[in-house]
Amino acid sequence: MDGQLLSETFVELTDTMVADFDVIDFLHVLTSRSAELLNASAAGLLLADPRGELRVVAASSEAARLLELFQLQSDQGPCLECFRSGQPVAVTDLSADRRWPRFAAAAGQAGFSAVQALPMRLRDQVIGALNLFRATPGTFDADSIRVGQALADVATISLLQERSMRHSDTLNEQLQTALNSRVIIEQAKGKLAERLGIDVDQAFTILRDQARNRNQRLSDLARAFVDGTQALTSPAGSPRTSRPGTMQPLPALRPGPARPAPPRPGA
Amino acid sequence: MLVWFRGRLAALAARVTEARRLGRVWGLVAQHAAARGGQVSAADVCAAVIPGVQVTGAWLSAARDAQAGHLMQVTDEVSRQLAELQLTLGEGPLFDASTSGGPALASDLASPESAFRWPAFTPAACRAGAAAVFAFPLAVGAIRAGVLGLYRDRPGPLSDFQLGDALVFADAATMLLLDAQDQAGGAAGPGAGPGGQPVGLASRRAEIDQATGMLTEQLSVSITDAFARLRAYAYVSDRGLADVARDIVARRLRLPPDRDLSPEES
Repeated sequence: MDGQLLSETFVELTDTMVADFDVIDFLHVLTSRSAELLNASAAGLLLADPRGELRVVAASSEAARLLELFQLQSDQGPCLECFRSGQPVAVTDLSADRRWPRFAAAAGQAGFSAVQALPMRLRDQVIGALNLFRATPGTFDADSIRVGQALADVATISLLQERSMRHSDTLNEQLQTALNSRVIIEQAKGKLAERLGIDVDQAFTILRDQARNRNQRLSDLARAFVDGTQALTSPAGSPRTSRPGTMQPLPALRPGPARPAPPRPGA
Repeated sequence: MLVWFRGRLAALAARVTEARRLGRVWGLVAQHAAARGGQVSAADVCAAVIPGVQVTGAWLSAARDAQAGHLMQVTDEVSRQLAELQLTLGEGPLFDASTSGGPALASDLASPESAFRWPAFTPAACRAGAAAVFAFPLAVGAIRAGVLGLYRDRPGPLSDFQLGDALVFADAATMLLLDAQDQAGGAAGPGAGPGGQPVGLASRRAEIDQATGMLTEQLSVSITDAFARLRAYAYVSDRGLADVARDIVARRLRLPPDRDLSPEES
């Protein structure tokens, strides 16, 4: 693991957790950083909805196939097991796994060979799980598991922002708000994808970049865009494309003045 | 082997719990409608949530396309006062829930947190007889139907189980309000879904939300109307909402611009 990147990541994440920060964007960055730091092909954060299922709130990629894989796990899979037991759950070789056949098959089709789920815990309560996928069979090493668990803990704390951690009301409010924000973001993805004739995952990237450039919460921008009360600036040139599996360089987490777009691989 | 079995049991328990919860909550709502001999409406949700979640009273304010709501239902004098207080003072859990898109939960109005959060509303609410207040936005993403407010005359949080139920009661109220608001001849009336539920009450998949967003652009309608059109189409074609949504997102299906519901399939 890159020690430098590790230190930088933690400093950035904790620095960003101040009043009025955008928790949805934060969780997306945290998920992406997790994948990068731990050499995972993909990562996703799932939260428990009190209605009774796990729902994905952020992922290192918005590719439909990946999100579908997370959605599947509300029914069966290592994430659900992790959530219920409060313990890390690993599958070192999905092709040989008998516990969760539907999930293993779908993960295999998506190009993943192994998976690790780490619990998001707050004292004795488990509120969700961080899910990491590998392209090759095997485990994440002990260091990576420790760092991954720390990242899951940071994600948990971020949901409480600066308010009292003893208050279950706050946690439940934030959880539901995060889950509901996801719905708005999906609606905005659909609207923008239709308008520009692009895929929904490309639409997400545009929405997220515009929110950062305007120092605006992603969920607020998404809502305003769907309501029609705010227009997006048209992307310069042709719609962005990226090759599947390519890691984009991540912009700084702290909102700042508008930045030039990072170079597109293959553009 | 034992690990596998336990995992299967847990997964099965999760599925059964969710489906059972929806069935139970909807059953309570439908029962109330049957008892008064009318068609299921949001008013039945307000009545059924009281014993369902163990609160003292409930109120419901409706909104249309994100415009500020007006009071639609109250179950007692205290809930009326709580609802009107908030509209008068311009602060309170109703506004927090509308703004944030998530619930506003105040288990103890006597706490300093509450006084800090709503300096005008809190003392007035206590005087009216409320010790705890919980407000839930009635929304499907950017589609805003209103707010459901609950109060208790004694302090204490909703348990996790009660919170889960409250959210499903809120979902039911949302769909019933949307059904009632859809005046433009949507074929999916209340009770058109499985078990007499509104169409779409049980569905919560990303494709449905994405398809709704696509339709708002495709048909040049509000997000609320886009959702109504999506549900109407699913009902008329006798297909699941998630199925139809998947076809729309994959661009295999476009809905026609007018309300003639014969599809163009590409």
